[in-house]
Amino acid sequence: MAGLSLKSVKKRFGNVEVVTGVDLTVENGEFLVFVGPSGCGKSTLLRMIAGLETVSEGRIEIGDKDVTHVDPAKRGIAMVFQTYALYPHMTVATNIGFPLEMAGLPQDEIDRKVAEAAKVLHLEPYLQRKPRELSGGQRQRVAIGRAIVRQPEVFLFDEPLSNLDAELRIQMRLEIARLHQELKSTMVYVTHDQVEAMTLATRIVVLRAGRIEQVGSPLDLYENPDNTFVAGFIGSPRMNFVKVRVVRVAEGFAFVSAEALGLSEIPVRLRGVEPESPPGDVTLGIRPEHFRDGGDGALSGIVSVVERLGGTSYVHAALNDGSQITVESRDPREHQVGRAHTFAFDPDSALLFGGDGKRL
Amino acid sequence: MKRTLPQSVALYSGLLLVFLIIGMPFWWVVSGSVKLPREIIARVPTMFPQSFTTQHFEKLFQSTDFPAYLVNSIGVALFSTIVTVALALPAAYAFFRMRFPGRNALYRLILLAYAFPTIVVLIPIYGLFAKVGLIDTRTSLVIVNIAFALPFSIWMMRSFLSTVPKEIEEAAIIDGAPARVILLRIMAPLIAPGIASVAIFTFIASWTEYLFASVLIVSDARRTVPVGFAGIIGQYQIDWGLLLAGATAATIPVVILFAFVGRWFVSGLTEGAVK
Ligand SMILES: Nc1ncnc2c1ncn2[C@@H]1O[C@H](COP(=O)(O)OP(=O)(O)OP(=O)(O)O)[C@@H](O)[C@H]1O
Ligand SMILES: [Mg+2]
Repeated sequence: MAGLSLKSVKKRFGNVEVVTGVDLTVENGEFLVFVGPSGCGKSTLLRMIAGLETVSEGRIEIGDKDVTHVDPAKRGIAMVFQTYALYPHMTVATNIGFPLEMAGLPQDEIDRKVAEAAKVLHLEPYLQRKPRELSGGQRQRVAIGRAIVRQPEVFLFDEPLSNLDAELRIQMRLEIARLHQELKSTMVYVTHDQVEAMTLATRIVVLRAGRIEQVGSPLDLYENPDNTFVAGFIGSPRMNFVKVRVVRVAEGFAFVSAEALGLSEIPVRLRGVEPESPPGDVTLGIRPEHFRDGGDGALSGIVSVVERLGGTSYVHAALNDGSQITVESRDPREHQVGRAHTFAFDPDSALLFGGDGKRL
Repeated sequence: MKRTLPQSVALYSGLLLVFLIIGMPFWWVVSGSVKLPREIIARVPTMFPQSFTTQHFEKLFQSTDFPAYLVNSIGVALFSTIVTVALALPAAYAFFRMRFPGRNALYRLILLAYAFPTIVVLIPIYGLFAKVGLIDTRTSLVIVNIAFALPFSIWMMRSFLSTVPKEIEEAAIIDGAPARVILLRIMAPLIAPGIASVAIFTFIASWTEYLFASVLIVSDARRTVPVGFAGIIGQYQIDWGLLLAGATAATIPVVILFAFVGRWFVSGLTEGAVK
């Protein structure tokens, strides 16, 4: 088992730089998740680690060994593709045993390891079937089986669950988490499902346009995002952003106002050093779940939609300045579409971002 | 989709027309080969044989060199087919997967092989083969057949290769399979219909090849069916029964090949691989 490190890794396709310098160290046994919007370079980055894509600039090391120019098969990695990529004309057993066969293992040892993997993944009844005779979830388990038999140093997953339906996705998510606990190997996982990211990751890497926006534990990113992009990307429903003005700064707090919305001099804790002069126009970020009755801040708006999910509900409202907010509510009955309502929130859990989107 | 009556009528009459155009001459040949000579040349042709005889076939196989021609043809066509497939598959894979300078230009260029009328290349090829002592050998025919079938076969196989999802190949690369193994164990089984198409194309082209076979082969014992058979029927006055029996017998190996290779024309080979 081994860690992994990327050193100023860049990738260009022709003249287009799609990965613009990524530095990252993954500890041994870590479960690292790449998230980011579509086209931000997650797959490209993963494929460079796998060796399926050349590195335009920079270095990749797996377990202290420079593998930048090493063949995929010799990197000690295994990869699970979004589209299972099984060998359709081979049985499940041959599929799983294929990497071992390529490594030149004797047949009895291959059989033993395949049986072991099949047991872990509950695939025993299907070993003699062809991939087309399996369900989507079973196919994905075969793909995972083919990865685990090789006992790789690093597992790479590229959106392995996105072809599955919602229920199966939850089930497979648990299986992957269990697998990580059992195997304790390093895993790098790409997804754009942030629930997957939050539940599986020991650390999350948020990417945007080929660059790392922030790296941190799931809770860290949730509670302490570095900028509006990360704040908006992590957490569901998205964080609400409201335009406000800083009127004064004192003792680590910024006092913000927005007359049109009925906010005046609400104290918000600053993270970094106190700016010398008040930064003027800023963005206040409040998560939907941080609204609560009796909070010191309050925003009033007209309720436009109420989404009832059973336990909780999401109330969407239009503020006076035209912006929309989403508020989590325990009791949807107190909200009626078209009515004005004042939503109280806790300034302690609100975050402040500068005009450039950076956290203040 | 439900067809309306006029649509069905149009469809089936179209099918019938196509069937008649293709099937009638064939039926004429096959049914004629078992008719007695006087029925064959009867003033009013009969659609279904009124008489039955195997005399034409007996004559064909017992008192002519047809069996020898048949063996020659089968040998030449089989070798041409096997070598063409064996060469086209790796060549197509190289054009499909490998990066080398001039790849695209070369790929377009190979079809230029068909731009020249065969008769134009006949003379230089004859000269070439004469130099290396290949005149009057069946090997010369195999070489010519391969040379003519290969460019198209490479084209055809490459387009079949491009239907295999890229991830399957990438998975094999990660699993440590070398290019040879990827081609033979992963790609080849998945493009079986493409291989079958190439095999049938090459076999039939070799089977019916006349021009080179008539020029490059000198001795009667090495002739292939098209050339040798032309000799048989031209030798005396035309024996229609013998002609039809020979034509029928000549189709049999092709029919057998279709039956054999036809099983490879199955769809959905990559089903279950992705998605
Ligand atoms: N072979 C290629 N040639 C040119 N551009 C490419 C190639 N592969 C990817 N790209 C570009 O690189 C960028 C990153 O692609 P990538 O597949 O890594 O995105 P992603 O983050 O995985 O997106 P998604 O979430 O949609 O899978 C995209 O803008 C894409 O168009
Ligand atoms: Mg992707």
